[in-house]
Amino acid sequence: AELLHGRRQMYRVADLSRMMYDDMLSTAEVVRKWYGNDEEDAEQDRESEADDAPLVKRGRSDEQDEDRLVPTFDYEVLAAKWTDAENLEALRQRFASSGLTGANSE
Amino acid sequence: MAADATAPLKFTGSKFLVQRLVLATLTGKAVRISHIRAASHRSPGLAPHEVSILRLLESLTNGSQIEFSYTGTTVLYKPGLITGSAAGHGASGGVIRHELPADCTRGASYFIIPVCLLAPFSKAQVNVLFTGPGVITSATETGDVSVDTVRTAILPLFKSFGIELNIELRILKRSNPGRDGKGGGGEVQLVFGHQVRLPKTIHLLHAGRVKRIRGVAYSTGVAGANNARLIEAARGVLNELVPDVYIYSDVSSAPFVPTQDKTNPRAKRKTGLGFGLSLVAETTTNTLYSADTASPPSGGETPEDLGKKCAYQLLEAIETGGCISHVSAFPMLSLMAMGSEDVGRITVGKEVLGSEPVIQLARDLRMFGMSGWGMREEEDGDEDGVVVSVVGRGVGNVGRKIA
Repeated sequence: AELLHGRRQMYRVADLSRMMYDDMLSTAEVVRKWYGNDEEDAEQDRESEADDAPLVKRGRSDEQDEDRLVPTFDYEVLAAKWTDAENLEALRQRFASSGLTGANSE
Repeated sequence: MAADATAPLKFTGSKFLVQRLVLATLTGKAVRISHIRAASHRSPGLAPHEVSILRLLESLTNGSQIEFSYTGTTVLYKPGLITGSAAGHGASGGVIRHELPADCTRGASYFIIPVCLLAPFSKAQVNVLFTGPGVITSATETGDVSVDTVRTAILPLFKSFGIELNIELRILKRSNPGRDGKGGGGEVQLVFGHQVRLPKTIHLLHAGRVKRIRGVAYSTGVAGANNARLIEAARGVLNELVPDVYIYSDVSSAPFVPTQDKTNPRAKRKTGLGFGLSLVAETTTNTLYSADTASPPSGGETPEDLGKKCAYQLLEAIETGGCISHVSAFPMLSLMAMGSEDVGRITVGKEVLGSEPVIQLARDLRMFGMSGWGMREEEDGDEDGVVVSVVGRGVGNVGRKIA
């Protein structure tokens, strides 16, 4: 419990709206902070909640990459993620007509 | 124009160049962008594709001024009015021919998307033919989407803004990137014939569920069996989730382009061989998610791998959720900002919102005098989205108001 409370919550919208227009921070810093990576034990933090694996794949490679539209992915991680039955099940609710009955599709 | 009296807005760096140029043109404000690759020893200044897009902007507008510094690391751009392909401004027969240089490393979509953003606000209809030895219609290693994705996943987005008539993207000749990822020989024509005073205010709050997946597999200059293999692999992943998957297959021969050979000026060679896949998922509320892969110019990837990668990429985009994806964030959010003075709302996935380009877009929009975004957590919350409210400024029609 202490661990949970000591750490800033990730992905909080209020944080982002505060940082978004703070010109002292570069965009890269904002992104990093918002994902909660500014703390040194962020790695550990992430592993502890690996069940939904929030951002394993965003391997933003180098500075030379400019204005990409297609994000770069580590495809091995992706392949592992999407062959996992649990992840697929979780995604199923985002699809129409693939529910158990099909009745709950909009 | 009024903006001439004021000092140009200052930006630095080569990143987000297109975004800034487009916003400058739409708002009619002059920009000075400095330090463009100033630290690079090998290729300081503007890259060929960036110069090319400046030329394109010049031919689409009337009265633009572009000044480069000696080294090309600084550019001053004073936009004119967006005239589109009106007669007498570089257009012949109502078509602007835009030739891309042979050493262009970016896909044609890099040029098409900005034009699509300017086109609704143009005076006359926009009709641009992209041609020349640098047109790459496929997805590229540099992160551009394929023109198929532009056609099937980006152009339909304009519909929700009330811009839907007479819009067409014709793919006349396909091409993958040539040697070293440079150049191609494709040909694409963009017709954008629906001009509006102001885009409608949109309220897209529900992303809906994915109901169908469409796609295009393309092979240029290689055996059509590659398409079948791409489709097979992608279907293998996707069919479990959606029964309604349909992927078109398009096989074409590789384009001939003239070699830059002084001794034999009539020599031509084939370029732009390869294959690729573009997938688009459509939801019940017409939100579109897209994914793109193409064979790298160096080769060495099997169609099976690429097909799977593309499918995984699509799943990833679907999982991110929200009504816009990484690909569509820039056009959608900018059009919202250009809209009438009303609050538009859109749900954005957190990963999209928390990405550098989107944050930078928010900042750039504010620099250009747009209002800030309001953000709140999505209420009916099984999806983790953020509702972004954008107040339009009604400035998107600068050209039409004055002209």
